[in-house]
Amino acid sequence: MNGLPILSILILLPLAGCLLLLPVWHCRKSARPIALVVAVIELGLTVWLYVSWRGLSVLPTKLPGFWLLEDAPWIPAFGIRYTLGLDGISLLMVMLTAFIFCVALLVSWRAIEEKTALFLCLMLTMEAGVMGVFLALDLALFYLFWEVMLIPMFFLIGIWGHGRKLYSTIKFFLFTMVGSLLMLLAIIALHLIHAQQSGVATFGLHELLKTQIPAGTQLWLYAAFLLAFAIKFPLFPLHTWLPDAHTDAPTAGSVILAGLLLKTGSYGLIRFGYPLFPQAAQILTPLLFGLALVGILYASLVAFAQEDMKRLIAYSSIGHMGFVAIGIAAWQPVALSGSIIQMANHGVTTGALFCMVGMLDERAHTREIKAFGGLWGKMPLWSFFFLLFSITSVGLPGLNSFVGEFLILAGTMKSSPLVAALAFIGIVLTLIYMVRLVQEVVFQKERQPLDLTDLDLREVCLLAVLSLLNVWMGVHPAPLLDLIHTPVQLLLGGAP
Amino acid sequence: MTSLGLMALMPLIILAGGSVLVLLAGAFKPGGYLYELTTTLIVSALLWSVILPAEGVAPGLAITPFSRYFSAFLYGTGIVALLLAAGYNRRRGIVGEEYPATLLFAMTGMGIACAATDLLILFLGLESFTFAFYILVTIERGSSRGGEAGLKYLLNGTLSAAIMSMGIALVYCDRGTIKLAELASRTGTPEPLFLAGCCLILLGLAFKLSLVPAHLWTPDVYQGSPAPVTALLSTASKAASLVALLLFLPLLDSWRGTHDILWMLALLSMLVGNLAALAQGSIKRMLAWSSIAQMGYAALALVAAPAGGSQAALFYIVTYAAAGLAAFGAVSVLSDISELDTIEGYQGLGYSNPLAGAALALAMFSLAGIPPAAGFMGKFAVFSAALRGGETALAIIGILTALVAVFFYLRVVVALYMKPPAGQSVPARPLALSEVVALIIPAAVILVFGVYPQPLLDLLSQVMK
Repeated sequence: MNGLPILSILILLPLAGCLLLLPVWHCRKSARPIALVVAVIELGLTVWLYVSWRGLSVLPTKLPGFWLLEDAPWIPAFGIRYTLGLDGISLLMVMLTAFIFCVALLVSWRAIEEKTALFLCLMLTMEAGVMGVFLALDLALFYLFWEVMLIPMFFLIGIWGHGRKLYSTIKFFLFTMVGSLLMLLAIIALHLIHAQQSGVATFGLHELLKTQIPAGTQLWLYAAFLLAFAIKFPLFPLHTWLPDAHTDAPTAGSVILAGLLLKTGSYGLIRFGYPLFPQAAQILTPLLFGLALVGILYASLVAFAQEDMKRLIAYSSIGHMGFVAIGIAAWQPVALSGSIIQMANHGVTTGALFCMVGMLDERAHTREIKAFGGLWGKMPLWSFFFLLFSITSVGLPGLNSFVGEFLILAGTMKSSPLVAALAFIGIVLTLIYMVRLVQEVVFQKERQPLDLTDLDLREVCLLAVLSLLNVWMGVHPAPLLDLIHTPVQLLLGGAP
Repeated sequence: MTSLGLMALMPLIILAGGSVLVLLAGAFKPGGYLYELTTTLIVSALLWSVILPAEGVAPGLAITPFSRYFSAFLYGTGIVALLLAAGYNRRRGIVGEEYPATLLFAMTGMGIACAATDLLILFLGLESFTFAFYILVTIERGSSRGGEAGLKYLLNGTLSAAIMSMGIALVYCDRGTIKLAELASRTGTPEPLFLAGCCLILLGLAFKLSLVPAHLWTPDVYQGSPAPVTALLSTASKAASLVALLLFLPLLDSWRGTHDILWMLALLSMLVGNLAALAQGSIKRMLAWSSIAQMGYAALALVAAPAGGSQAALFYIVTYAAAGLAAFGAVSVLSDISELDTIEGYQGLGYSNPLAGAALALAMFSLAGIPPAAGFMGKFAVFSAALRGGETALAIIGILTALVAVFFYLRVVVALYMKPPAGQSVPARPLALSEVVALIIPAAVILVFGVYPQPLLDLLSQVMK
């Protein structure tokens, strides 16, 4: 597009933002707007990309379905290239990333009073890493970004977190490393198998897709990839890092964890896991179904027993991501589209819920469900938004989660009716624990006299934007479905 | 010797002659600009090696592109270690010309080891820099830890030297030559006497590289030595010994047993080093065990030598050296009058000493192999070579032990940035220019080669032809 390396700019702009923060390192007042401006420009760029996609329809590039490509040799000695590509799925994820980072910066506007510039720097670095994950088409490059986004989150939880923050952040880091290190070996092994067959040393996704991998090897390699992605997802029983990390992270950290980092797992499975190892993925589909179902039911039951609001929402995330996993495992156009849409939906909805719990925590300095009650009278604005996002999370028609969950269940029903039926129970369970949460916090009689003020203008604007987006994605999801239509067809091996 | 040979040998002559010069200068003008003079000498040796393409052969020595560039790298680590030592020694009251003169002598030994073409010169090179380290380890005369470390190093070192020279004698007995090229060109099944000799040499080298089971001296010596000496001992001396191992290994090409020995050395070093490092409360001991494990990864690459492992091992050692210098550099800078040795002592220092803290954290990420630090590229090269060589099992064990390692490296980062300062906070000492430079050089190497390692890889494949 106009010869501008726009995808690289998406990655480099936040890093440049970090440099801009250096001169104002000790001045919170000017550091915050600078970081926000960078994040907003980033969001503007992604929206511009979306608008021009609508105008241009699909530009043909070397790779089908990708309408922007940037490719340059990077480390020829290892066969690694700097390949970035944008298709509909990437674009949706990139827009989500830019948006969630704006939300995260705004929600932590007041909350982070110490070492603010360092915080903002880490946020921007993480944004660059997440952008890279969603854009990389070279497996080694993907791995690099996959790891790069980890370090800022480690610091974010460890420095600005609450409670047992050190335990949580180290657990988070180690869990993620287990998966990714084994995936690294699998990536190298795949590269070597390809080099043996074709004589070309490459990590390019589209080259590696042509590799003929013997069935046994394929199973091992896929297992390594699946492990890395399942930990990020997180699938039962690899989810135990998530409640800890979410609970102890600062609000912005929880928003990004739930909104984006979990999505990198599902994105990786869609972009790399299934296409690279089709037979192995086929064989392990029942496993994926099983883990996802157990995860949905288990997480819902555990969520019901939580006393901490943040922990409850963290468990609900595991349940919702279980639906995404089911949609992917069905590997069928309707369900897969549903999963991808649901990734964006969950980012917005759960991000909003974490923001709201963070706002409450800033005022009351507690997140215990039992501490609140009767907020409808005291904080009507907060209660209104909380109710809205809670019923979204349950999947009320007209709001965004409904679209995703409906498509996932409708698609899965065709191939595996039993799975769809069991997953449906999960929705019912979600309803139960979310209604309990809302009932206890918003409608119950006041339990303790807490001095609470309602939302201020910044918070209302933030939540209003999130709600509008939520309703828009729920009422009129067609543009998003159009966006991912072609890539989904291509992934499933059909004609676009 | 031709004039060309003299030109080629000039870096070695500068260093050896410089060593004597510094000793003399110290006698006539104590407390003069000895560190400045020494730095100038090593820098000129480095520049000569890199810039002038003078190559030639002397008895027992061959100055080749490989030896030129690799010795230049060793001189570079020497410069950083010297810059660190300048401030550190002043604070500790380590005065006199002995330190810089001995360091120059160590550099000479390393330069010789890189260029050796026969076993005896190789041995002399190795032993002369080890000899220099015997002195450097105990340079702080009042320190009882230093004395203990020096004695342990000396006893173990002389034992390994005796073993190695016995090995060389056996090899000479059997083949009647000590020239590496002639020894390597012989094919066919090697004789038992020759094999016995080679195994003894291998054991001696394993001691220098502190590969398990010849590693026991490492933690005590690393902990007892002054930090700038440990910085050099854990990087340059390891790198020079690795080069010696690379020069020696072709002798055993035709013997299948080499593979098994290296396999065991790599396995044990990765396992023992990483597991023992978990339990350390002292940062220097932790880094010592971690360096044992890191040498295990280098050995893992050598197991797969036919599949391009040698190049991977050299690349790995360069990335490791940068991280080691940054880590021990930070320890030197942060240690004031007494050594800052416990990991708890580093709590909160990331904020009060931003540069040293950042260098230490970066070094930890690099040693843990997390991008965008160079250590990741090093691990990438090693594991690619291992898988290409068909060492899948060893690679999987290696990656799992690397995971264990992440935990203890993170402990340091956690202490630096996520824990409140222990005890009363001492205002940070402003860093001298030499310390700033000595921290920035390795940190820059870590970042640059972590993002763009291609130039170094190109250079390596060029000089290893």
